[in-house]
Amino acid sequence: MTDYSIKTGKGLGIYASALGAISLVVGLVEISGGWGEIIPGDLFGGFVLLVIAATYLNGVKGVFQGRYEGLSFLVGGLFLTAVFGVLYLLMMGAEGLMYLLGEAEALPGIFDLRPEVWILLLSLPLARRVGRLTDGMAGSRY
Amino acid sequence: MDADRVDGSSVEDMASAIAEGRYQAIGEILEAAVVRGERRWTYTDIFDHVFLSRSLGIPIFLTLLWAVFAFTFALSEPLMIIIEEVFGALGGIAGAGISNPQVASFVAGGVFGGLGSVLVFVPPIFLLFFALSILEDSGYMARAAFVMDRLMQSLGLHGRSFIPMMVGFGCSVPAIMAARSIEGEKDRLITTLVIPLISCGARLPVYILIAGAIFGARYAGTAIFSIYLLGVALAIIMALIFRRTLLKGEPSPFILELPAYAVPRAKTTVLHMWARGKWFLIRAGTIIFGTVVIVWFLAAHPWEATAGGEVIENSYIAIIGHGLEPLVRPFGWDWMAAVALLFGLLAKEVVVGTYGILLGVEEGALGESLVALGLFTPLTGFAFMAFVLIYVPCIATIATIFRETNSYRWAAFATAYLIILAFVVSGLIIAIGGLLGFS
Repeated sequence: MTDYSIKTGKGLGIYASALGAISLVVGLVEISGGWGEIIPGDLFGGFVLLVIAATYLNGVKGVFQGRYEGLSFLVGGLFLTAVFGVLYLLMMGAEGLMYLLGEAEALPGIFDLRPEVWILLLSLPLARRVGRLTDGMAGSRY
Repeated sequence: MDADRVDGSSVEDMASAIAEGRYQAIGEILEAAVVRGERRWTYTDIFDHVFLSRSLGIPIFLTLLWAVFAFTFALSEPLMIIIEEVFGALGGIAGAGISNPQVASFVAGGVFGGLGSVLVFVPPIFLLFFALSILEDSGYMARAAFVMDRLMQSLGLHGRSFIPMMVGFGCSVPAIMAARSIEGEKDRLITTLVIPLISCGARLPVYILIAGAIFGARYAGTAIFSIYLLGVALAIIMALIFRRTLLKGEPSPFILELPAYAVPRAKTTVLHMWARGKWFLIRAGTIIFGTVVIVWFLAAHPWEATAGGEVIENSYIAIIGHGLEPLVRPFGWDWMAAVALLFGLLAKEVVVGTYGILLGVEEGALGESLVALGLFTPLTGFAFMAFVLIYVPCIATIATIFRETNSYRWAAFATAYLIILAFVVSGLIIAIGGLLGFS
């Protein structure tokens, strides 16, 4: 017995696999010193992306089977993606404030966005789909 | 409950059996009374399936902890600059507007240079507590304790130790008092002895000053996170050593109720932040201010010999510092570090205040001065941060250990082992870092 349709699960699984693969590659590049201006070298930032990738990929098998066990990892992955995407956006905001205080040379622009923010944007369609499946779910059992 | 199961068992087994029986009864009552909805899964189940996962639970905890420190450091930086500029302006006004040179020196150097350099750390301390309050109010912190229990049990430690240790990120004193909740005497004592290794908020200003100066804004958060991880790792290692040597025995069972997840309410989170953070303001107005006055006096006197605090090398504090310098010279630190660490025994924030007075620069230039004067390299600076992490947190912590253990011997033991460990770990950082080619 499935918790949602296999067809829905397949769509979610493919999207989550893609997000997981992107996070994995970017995380490995960050750990190995970065790639030009696009992906900065960041040991802990890379580790975070590997954890996000592992969370998404852990759920792929389960969502292909239409089970909540798999969907939970997608929710976890989306949660972590949101936490770190928002965190880097806040950090950009802080850099902007530093510029206004005369402590930074330039105002951060769109090209200064960290890959984690792009991954957050890429995850939004998945979040919307997962949100529909969990809509109306109770907060706790009792 | 099965009487045979209890009979002849240890106290811990009995406690575990009683708890198990209690939860079984609760489960039966709920099963009979609660009508379940159609959906089997809840949000709490969904998140617990991931956050309590055997493979991902600990990595996710580490990533969230890193997020807390990255958030704290990055967002507090502009706020600190604003406070620095305010104190800089007030110091300038005080220096120019007070005619008595001793009073002007005290206000500019002692109050604005010393106390001011501590007060600029209000934003990171409050932001750290804000982030930790979010984790706590959301229900995640209890999961973190649960996840870490697996690791701690596998190391022969008690899972409940993790909760006081988490409290220790705020302040060691309430953390040691929170260890009262641990039932086994040996478990409680081990936890009490290792809590000082968990980095409290008072040490954060030192890390931010040193890491910000030598690693730059980009890597400072990561350097600070590494120091916090080092503290947790050392606490686990030392607990394991105590368990295998001084306090042999098996850890008692760990029973923990996991609350349902909740979206933290802004008002509650801010109140929690304030409740935890206000001690910093209280300390700033009492022990930190008092110590800073002493440091200023020792740095500016004899008044004629130091030319009103301008020639610090002729001051009383320089005499004390040079006397202690041989102890810290092997780590590449000078007499100022020795003095800062000495006064840091009273309260860790004083380390920053002491540098503020000794270098006689505005708060904003303190980090730059440390680097420009060659007082720290990345390696010696990191070793200094590790030393600050490990050696006695403050006098109040030692007094609390004495009160909680009712034994001056354990308090003396804690002081001695922490100081020795600080020298050993900092020495290892310098030695290994040097071998790896770090300067």
